[in-house]
Amino acid sequence: MKRRELFVGTSGNTCVQGVRTCGTADLIPNVALRTHDDVPVRFYDDLVKGRQVVINMMYATCEGLCPAVTSRLVEVHRALAPRMGRDLFMYSITLKPNEDGPAALRAFADMHGALLPGWTFLTGDAFDIDTLRFALFRHNHIKFDLDPNFHAGQLRIINDSINRWVHVTPLASKATVLQHISWADPPKSYEQRMQDNRALQDEIGREVAKYGYRKVI
Amino acid sequence: MQGSKIFLRALALLTCLHAPALFGAESCDAEASWKASAAERHFVVLAGRTGVFYERSGPTFVMLVRGGGDEVDLGAFGIHADANGHPAFGGVPARWYEAFLRDPAAAGREKSSAVMLRLEVSGPQYERVLRVVRTWERRVAERALLYPDFALDNILLVKQVTEEINRCRQALVPYELDWGLDDAISEHNVALRIPFEYFKELKVRNQARHVSDAAMPAQLRMATLTAQQDAQAPAREE
Repeated sequence: MKRRELFVGTSGNTCVQGVRTCGTADLIPNVALRTHDDVPVRFYDDLVKGRQVVINMMYATCEGLCPAVTSRLVEVHRALAPRMGRDLFMYSITLKPNEDGPAALRAFADMHGALLPGWTFLTGDAFDIDTLRFALFRHNHIKFDLDPNFHAGQLRIINDSINRWVHVTPLASKATVLQHISWADPPKSYEQRMQDNRALQDEIGREVAKYGYRKVI
Repeated sequence: MQGSKIFLRALALLTCLHAPALFGAESCDAEASWKASAAERHFVVLAGRTGVFYERSGPTFVMLVRGGGDEVDLGAFGIHADANGHPAFGGVPARWYEAFLRDPAAAGREKSSAVMLRLEVSGPQYERVLRVVRTWERRVAERALLYPDFALDNILLVKQVTEEINRCRQALVPYELDWGLDDAISEHNVALRIPFEYFKELKVRNQARHVSDAAMPAQLRMATLTAQQDAQAPAREE
């Protein structure tokens, strides 16, 4: 009777507790993806490294949440148009990589008016997409994490240059989404902060003069 | 106005949440047309024990056995103890899984600290389970586990394996391991211990489906014996 081992139990393919070498070595996986223009990219090296990015997950045939989320992101893009593609980028990653090729993603983006500067739709290998989905959106809760729809209802905002991660639901108001994006903005210079403070103080002064108190907080 | 907006958002969310599963089931045609053969048998073994690690949990893994002709494929994947006695996740060394080539309960030992549910499955079921385990093997090799704590990865592994067995027909009475409101196992146990308790519950629910040592094919029993004898030799150490 010949015996064949199905899985090799060596240190090379085993993760040991305490050593923590598995899964967390890269906070943002550098997986290989393809854009809606069919351009191969590395997620971290080419798209995220040193940048401020807004990431969501969707799929082209989703008729519920995804169009609503994409529509909200179009509004956000309009509001931040001068920054888009310069120091702020949007990435929409498909949850169904086996169905959504670059052409399907391009058609989805076109249909929703999302073929805009600085906004890229991404697909890739299902294994890598799962790795990415868990790395960016996991809740350490099996029930939620196994439901890709749950992850479709979230926005992850990352500013890699200052290692800041922010999370918000895209179903919140546009103002709320914009506020969350601003929380990951790069730190302002001293001069800029002083200028902003002066403008704010002027506004407070005007309100106090008009109403006798600070109306908007 | 605000109320209707909230309603529409909730409706959109519900519409999406009730959409068909994102990762669609593959065809079950192969399983429906599969003919059992005495020449090749397939088994999936859910095995675990307690009292090995510091918080009294222990190795818990999925073992696959395929026997046909004069060959047997054997392997296990999941949490086991490394050389220092620490929990490790990956391919399980033979010295850990060989204890489960025979039913520990039938042998009259470790009745409460070991659990084993051995299921005979069809070829397509076996292939699906093997595919799940191979994916986890790749995740370990590429350092691409889904959670920072691999106890959660192991829970996902055992959940996926049992769900793959049941994908096309109910081959075992399931337990909904999902951290939901009705999931008492996840509610009352630490992550490392959850798969053990899960297997214990599945064993209770599927006692009739458990393949006893006596019901194992003679060839595979022989292979088991050989494996255990080999395991006692020092050269077999990983």
